Amino acid sequence: MSGIEAADASGINGAGLIGDANPLRPRNTILKRYCLIAGFASVVLVLTAHVFVFQTDWARTGGLGQMLKTAAWFLPNLGYFPSILLALFETFLIALFGTLIGMVIAIPVAVLAARNVTPAGLASYWAGRVTIVLSRSVHELIFALIFVSALGLGPLPGMLALAVRSVGFLAKTTAEAIENIDIGPVEAIEATGARRIAVLLFAVMPQVFPIFVGNVIFQFDINIRRAAILGMVGGGGIGLIFAEQIMSLAYDRAGTVVLGVVAMVLLGEYISIRIRSWLL
Amino acid sequence: MALLEVVGLKKTYPTGETALRGIDLTVNGAEVIAVLGLSGSGKSTLLRCINRLVEPSEGLVVLDGVRVSELDRRGLQRARRHMGMIFQEYNLVDRLTVLENVLSGCLGVASTWRAVTRAFRKDDIERAMELCSRVGILDQIRKRADQLSGGQRQRVGIARALMQQPKILLVDEPTSSLDPKIGAEVMELMCAVADEHNVPILVSVHDLDVATGYSKRIVGLREGRIVFDAETREVDRSMLQSIYTDQDAA
Amino acid sequence: MAVGEHGITVDDARRDYRRFVNLGRLIKFIALLLFCIFAVWTAWYMNMPLERLSGMFGRIGTMVFNRMMPPDLDYAMTGNVFYSILETIEMSFLGTVYGVLLAVPVAWFGAWNVTPSRTICYPLGRAALVLSRAIPPIIWAMILVVILGFGPMAGTITLVLLTLSFAGKLMSEQVEAIDMGPVEAIRATGAGEIKTFVYAVLPQVKAAWIGIIIYNWDSSFRASTILGFVGAGGLGLYLRSTTQLLDYERAMGIILVVIALVIASEILSHFARRRIR
Repeated sequence: MSGIEAADASGINGAGLIGDANPLRPRNTILKRYCLIAGFASVVLVLTAHVFVFQTDWARTGGLGQMLKTAAWFLPNLGYFPSILLALFETFLIALFGTLIGMVIAIPVAVLAARNVTPAGLASYWAGRVTIVLSRSVHELIFALIFVSALGLGPLPGMLALAVRSVGFLAKTTAEAIENIDIGPVEAIEATGARRIAVLLFAVMPQVFPIFVGNVIFQFDINIRRAAILGMVGGGGIGLIFAEQIMSLAYDRAGTVVLGVVAMVLLGEYISIRIRSWLL
Repeated sequence: MALLEVVGLKKTYPTGETALRGIDLTVNGAEVIAVLGLSGSGKSTLLRCINRLVEPSEGLVVLDGVRVSELDRRGLQRARRHMGMIFQEYNLVDRLTVLENVLSGCLGVASTWRAVTRAFRKDDIERAMELCSRVGILDQIRKRADQLSGGQRQRVGIARALMQQPKILLVDEPTSSLDPKIGAEVMELMCAVADEHNVPILVSVHDLDVATGYSKRIVGLREGRIVFDAETREVDRSMLQSIYTDQDAA
Repeated sequence: MAVGEHGITVDDARRDYRRFVNLGRLIKFIALLLFCIFAVWTAWYMNMPLERLSGMFGRIGTMVFNRMMPPDLDYAMTGNVFYSILETIEMSFLGTVYGVLLAVPVAWFGAWNVTPSRTICYPLGRAALVLSRAIPPIIWAMILVVILGFGPMAGTITLVLLTLSFAGKLMSEQVEAIDMGPVEAIRATGAGEIKTFVYAVLPQVKAAWIGIIIYNWDSSFRASTILGFVGAGGLGLYLRSTTQLLDYERAMGIILVVIALVIASEILSHFARRRIR
């Protein structure tokens, strides 16, 4: 039967159990789709039960009331705020320099990881790409741990941890931008007999510059949040103070720290927006 | 000795497409030579094989005694400094100013440090400005290249190519992206300036009128082969017809 | 002196240019100088042990190759640790699912063009997005551990918040970029807010949203591997315990497992993205 005949045969009122008997939506597909959704939903429910019911010590957590009470402990103690300003400033600087160092490292890595300008063919391309993947797979806390053990406690390992972490994103997006450039100007500069590096600087860099700067600003924004926690493993900044307050059960002070972090993040976002409109 | 000699140039792309099937060409003095042919006839490929933006599959290119087609990377860079190229799509660096674009013509000889800091030599800047003045864009030199019109951009392209003080100008369909009146102005300018500097031009065109209007010699190209090579005044109808394939003529 | 077509001599241009370029160079130089001074001051202010930088690579090399190798992968594959890997995936999965479920209405509320109420819903939506994003996930995790106790529940909710902040923001931006035509058309039929959303907004953003969700899974999964560090469930717990006990070979084993998992998850999402096309 052709589709039209089938439609005629089912008639306008031909409503089946699962949807209308519409030849454009055969029953099999709808059945399949519902089964998939049901299956998915049941997996979700089972896992939810597992996590929320079985894995949680409800005796200690208490009911919703207790949870809200505990949450209220975090209400910020504003009197404590001035004492953390210095640490917040330090955190801000860690984020700033971490981003800048990462930016400097990311440029050569991006050149390596861009198929059209990589200097040593497949070898350098893979070197660049692997660096990017590693930088993005390892959390900054782990990098911070490594740097702290090599340099001691303080903001420097924190900056380096952020730098290494930022390279991944910056190099990846810049490499993609390089791979998408207009080849015309590159040909033109090559045709003048310019050296490789001159071609890079004059034909490639100007084209990717706006994207690069935008991404650096974006990373700076993200790095402020990352910098806030590095202190927990010794990387400087406000992270240590936060951990200390939690451990000494001074939850209201911890709340103050959170407030400070939020304020710092919002300030950072504001600065990012201003710089972006000024530069681009 | 001829200025440019092309012997037996062939190019087959990795896709299997053969663009050039054996080109022999000689350029002697400061003349304007038009390479006339339809799209796909190989004119662009021919120009690009001369400065090896496209690597020829076979054949010899000799510029002023130097066997360009056999040079290594360094040697090729040095050779390219003597060949100025002007592109159909202008190929300027959009974000840079007009002056910087013209100055990029001397990147071949500038040291790495100068390229990094954009600190070009005073006499280079001087020469760039004079070229800009000659092509009529001196009042635009601080504008970004993407703020210019098509005709203005091509003038910058001309200035950039001449900045190299080249021995020959390789010009790829310079007016195809411009409307006819502007195109004519650009062609006039280009031929005049090249003449002043005593530089031969090898220009690819698909428009008959442009070929006959500005060149002293026309080389007809069809499907990768030269079908005629004669002084413009000697070119007749049948020669012009030969650049069309049987399908086009029908 | 040749006079250009526009009445400017080359001399004029040269003078003009030199002034311009020199000023530009001066400004750049001053800016660079100020920045260097700032950098040096920062280094001094924060007592940065710059002299230790020279030996840094050597020390890291020693640490990695002597103390962290060979990585104790058996440790990572046994009993509790292996179970925590599963828990990490579980947390990540649930966090993404619930996060997306929550992100849909929040993205809708937080979109200026189609939010059901510009005075109530919009600020709520925006606040949710900003707040979830302004607080780093680990801090969220620590707070939730205090409120909810140790375990994957705190971690899952942290990931829900993370998804909200990341995917929610991107999804909201997509909604704000839609074509309002269909929205007006559906509204004109007298349909309520929810129906308008489902019939006019959703179809337009669906494709982009799926891409965002896949992209978000990557970053969610990465975060989930570390949340255990503060007791919120998953593999991170063992990272903490091994480094505190100076069991570096085991720590390295865990780090390698984390890297492998993250790469595996990225490959999966890469294929998922391909299939969507």
